[in-house]
Amino acid sequence: MSVFLEVKDVRKYYGAIRAVDGVSFALGPGEIVGVIGPNGSGKTTLFNSILGQIRPTSGAVEFAGEDITGMSPLELARRGIGRTFQTLQVFGKLSVRDNLIVAAQEFKGTMKSRLFAAPDAGLGEHADRMIELFRLQHVATLPAGTLSYGQQKLIDIAMAFMAGPRLVLLDEPCAGVNPSLVDQLRELLIELNRTQGGSFVVIEHNMDFVMRLCPQVICMVEGKVLAAGPPASVQGNRAVLEAYLGN
Amino acid sequence: MADFLQLVFSGAAIGAIYALAALGFTLLWQASGTINFAQGEFVMLPAFAMLFFLKVAGAPLWLAFLLACVVAMLILGYGFKVVVVDPLLKHGVIPLVIATLGLSIGLKSAVKAGYSAEAQPFPAIFPDGLLALGTIRVSYADVGTLLVAGLIVVGLQLFLNRTLTGRAMQAVAQNTESARVLGIDVKQMVLYTFLINAVLASVAALLVTPAYLAKFDMGDSIGLKAFYAAIIGGFNQTRGALLGGVLVGVLENLMGAYVSPAYKEGVALMLFLVVIIFKPEGLLGKAEERKV
Repeated sequence: MSVFLEVKDVRKYYGAIRAVDGVSFALGPGEIVGVIGPNGSGKTTLFNSILGQIRPTSGAVEFAGEDITGMSPLELARRGIGRTFQTLQVFGKLSVRDNLIVAAQEFKGTMKSRLFAAPDAGLGEHADRMIELFRLQHVATLPAGTLSYGQQKLIDIAMAFMAGPRLVLLDEPCAGVNPSLVDQLRELLIELNRTQGGSFVVIEHNMDFVMRLCPQVICMVEGKVLAAGPPASVQGNRAVLEAYLGN
Repeated sequence: MADFLQLVFSGAAIGAIYALAALGFTLLWQASGTINFAQGEFVMLPAFAMLFFLKVAGAPLWLAFLLACVVAMLILGYGFKVVVVDPLLKHGVIPLVIATLGLSIGLKSAVKAGYSAEAQPFPAIFPDGLLALGTIRVSYADVGTLLVAGLIVVGLQLFLNRTLTGRAMQAVAQNTESARVLGIDVKQMVLYTFLINAVLASVAALLVTPAYLAKFDMGDSIGLKAFYAAIIGGFNQTRGALLGGVLVGVLENLMGAYVSPAYKEGVALMLFLVVIIFKPEGLLGKAEERKV
C-alpha cells in the first residue's frame, strides 16, 4: 500500500494533560479510516494537530511525501486538504449555491481575474451537481443560515468536497443530524469517495455509521490508540468495550 | 410640502456622507471585529491631504483626491491595521477602543499643531445653483453628493456580491475559521476591508469638506453621527449603515427646520437611544450569538 497521509508519533500536551499521546497511523490514496473513542479521548485534538489548527508538541505529519506538520489551514487547503467541523461552519447570509462556490473559488485565477471573472468563477455547474448529489435543489437559492441543522450539515460537508480535495477530515458528520439523513450521508460519502477518489478520516460516535463506512477503524482512549484494524476486530476488542462501557 | 421635500432631499445628501463613514464602521466590524472611534479623523485627514496636494503641489482637485486616496490607503488602511489593530485586537475589543479614542485625539492635535487650528476653505466640487425637480428646488451640491455617494455604495455592493474577492471578503466576515479552512487568505481579505474603509473616508472627505471646511475637529461630528448611524441601522448589516446614515441626516434637517436648530445635533443621539432600548440589534440588524 502506498502511504498518502502518515501521522508519526504525534503528541499534544497541555501542561500535565496529554491530550494526544503518541498517535501513529497511515492512510493510502482513496482509503477511509474511522476514528472512534469516548468523549475527551483526544480525537478532535488529533484532527487539529494534523490540520494545523494547533501545533503538536512533538511528532510529524506527512502528506504525499511532504512534511506538513504545523502548516497553516491556508497552506493545507492549497495542498488539497479539507475538513469539516463538529459545529456548523456555513456562511449563513450566502445562498446554498454561493456557499459551495466560495468553498472552491480560492483556487481560481489571479488578482485581476478575481475582480473581473464571472461571479460563479466557472464553478456554477459543479456547484449545481453537488447540490443535486446532496438533494438540496429546493433550497439552493436560500440563505444557508435559514435552513435546518441537518441541511446546513449537508452543505458543510458538500463545501468540504467542492474543491475536489485529496484528503478530507470529517469531524462528527452525523452529530445533530436526523437519523433519516444518516444513511443518506453515508451513501453520499461512499459516492464521493468513488467519484472523486479522495481519502477520508472520519471522527464519529455513531458506531453503525463508522462500521458501515470505514474499512479501517482506530479507537482512541486517553490520547492513545487503543486498537486499530477492521471494524469487526475493533468492535470485538475487549479493551475497546471496557473503554466505552467500563469494567 | 415643497419645503418639506427640499429638507428631506438635502438631509438625505448629508446623510449619504454619514452613511459612507458608517459603512466603514460596519465593514471593519464585520471583517475584523474592529471598532474605530477615530473614524471621524479618518475623514478629516484625507481632507487635509487633498489641501496639501492642491496648495503645495498645485495638483488639480481630481488628482489631489486620487493622491489622497493612495495616502489614506497607505496610512489609514495598511498603517492603521498593522500598527494599531493587529497588535491590539488579540487582547480584545476594549484595548482597541481605547487606542482608537487616543488616536482620534492624537490626530486632531497633530493637525491642529502641525497645520492650523483655523478652518481652511476647500474648493467646491459641484457648481453653485439650484435644480428644479418638479415643485422642489435642490442644490447641485446635494444632487451631486447623493449621486456620488449612491454610485460608491452601488459599486461597493457590486464588488462584494459579484466578484470572487468580494465574496471571499463576505465569507471572512461571516465565518473566519471556515473561510481559512477553505483556503481563503483571511489576512489579505481583512486588509482589503481596511483599504476600502480608507477610500470611503476619502470620498466622504471630498463630499463634506466644501461645506464643513477643513478643520482639525471636522471629524468629531461626522464620526459620532456615523457611529450612531451604524448602530441605528444595524452594526452587522451594510444596508443598515446606509439606512441609519440617511435617517439621521433627514431627521436632523427636519428637526433643525421645524423644531429648533438647537436640537439638531441631538437627533442622532435620541434616535440611537430609542433604537438601543427597543431594537438593540438595529433597524435592519440581526441578533447574533457569540461563544463566551
